[in-house]
Amino acid sequence: MQGFAEPAPVSVEVPPGPHLDDLTLVVRAQEGDVRAFEALARRHQAALYRLASRVMGDHAEAEDALQEALLDAWRRIDRFRGDSAFSTWMYRVVTNRCLAMLRKRRPLPVEDVEDGTPAPDSPERSAEADASMAALGTALQGLGDDLRICWVLREMEGLGYTEIAEITGASEDAVRGRIHRARTRLAEVMRAWR
Amino acid sequence: MAVDPILDGGTSIDEVALEPLACGRDAAVVWDRAEAGTPPDAHERDCPHCTAVRADAAGLSSLVHRMAAEDIDPPPSVMERVMGAVMSELRPHDVLQLESPHGANRLGRPAAAGVLRGVVDRMDGLRARSCRIEQVPDRFDADVTITVTARFGVDLASVTARVRQMVLAAGEQTLGVPVRRVDISVVDIWGEP
Repeated sequence: MQGFAEPAPVSVEVPPGPHLDDLTLVVRAQEGDVRAFEALARRHQAALYRLASRVMGDHAEAEDALQEALLDAWRRIDRFRGDSAFSTWMYRVVTNRCLAMLRKRRPLPVEDVEDGTPAPDSPERSAEADASMAALGTALQGLGDDLRICWVLREMEGLGYTEIAEITGASEDAVRGRIHRARTRLAEVMRAWR
Repeated sequence: MAVDPILDGGTSIDEVALEPLACGRDAAVVWDRAEAGTPPDAHERDCPHCTAVRADAAGLSSLVHRMAAEDIDPPPSVMERVMGAVMSELRPHDVLQLESPHGANRLGRPAAAGVLRGVVDRMDGLRARSCRIEQVPDRFDADVTITVTARFGVDLASVTARVRQMVLAAGEQTLGVPVRRVDISVVDIWGEP
C-alpha cells in the first residue's frame, strides 16, 4: 500500500459463516463489517421474502420490499439494540416497508380486482386444489393490511402473539383480535370450497 | 360463524376487543386449541358455538398448511443489488493511518478489524464479536478493544492471554499498526455445559 490509493479490503479474514450467531454478526455489521451484514441478510432473506410476498400478493413488489428493507437494515443497523431477536427486528423493518408501499399503491377499480383472480389452467383434480389455493390467496389480499400482516406472521411464519405485537407495534390484544378476524373472514370465504 | 358486519370496513375497527362467543368462551382461544390439535373438551363437544369455531379452523387448516409449505425463495438478484448498493455506500474516510516515510498510507478500519477478528475466529473455542481499533492521536500505534465469546470449558485465562499475543502480532505484522494495548472482554459462553 503506497501513495493515496483508496483503502482496499484485506482478504485474509475468515468469511463469516453459519457458525456465527446473529448477535455476533450484528455487532460486526454495526462496526462496518459488510460481510457480516451479508451473512445476516442471506440467513434471513427467505423468511423476509415469504412475509413480503404474502403481504404484497405480488412477487415483483415483494422483491422491491425485501431489497429496500435490507438496505434500511444496513443503514439503520446502529439502532438495533438487541432488546428483541434480530429476526423480530427484521420482520418489523420489512413490515414497515410493505406498509409504506401499500399506502402508495393506487386502489384498483373493482372490475380489475375481479379480473385479477388467477385462473388455474391444469388438469381437473389438481386444478381444484390450485384453485382453492388461489382463492385463499385472493381472499387474503382482500383483507385489510393490518389483518393480513398479523395473519401471515401467525399462520405462515408461525410466530406467537407477543412477537407479532412487537413487530407491528400493536397491543397483544389487538393482535389476537386481528388474527381471529382474519381467520374468521378467510373461513367464511373458503366455506364455498369445502 | 357470524361475522360482525362492521368488519366489512376493513381494518379501522380492529382495535375493538373480541366479543366472547355466546357461550362465554374466547373464540380466539377455541381456534388456537383446535389448530394445535387439542381434542375438544366436554364443553366444546356439546357447544354449538365452539363446534362452529372448531369446524372453521379445521376447514381452513389443510389449505393454510399447504400455503405455509409453499417454497418461495427470493431470486439471487435481490442480494446482488443489495450488496452492490451497500458497497457503494461505504465510508472511505473511516481509515487508520499507517506509518510511511514517502506519503500517506491508509487502511480501512473495518477491514483491519476484520483481520483481527479473523485471528480470534481461528482459535479453537473462541469467536470475536466486537473489535474496535483506536489510534493514539498523532501517532501510528493503536489501542484495541475486543469482545469474544468462548465455548464452555475453555480455559479463559490462558486463552485471553493467547488472544492478546495474537492480536499484538497481527497488528504489527499483518496490518502494520503497532498495538499499544489490547483490552479483551469475554461477553458470552456458548455450547452445552
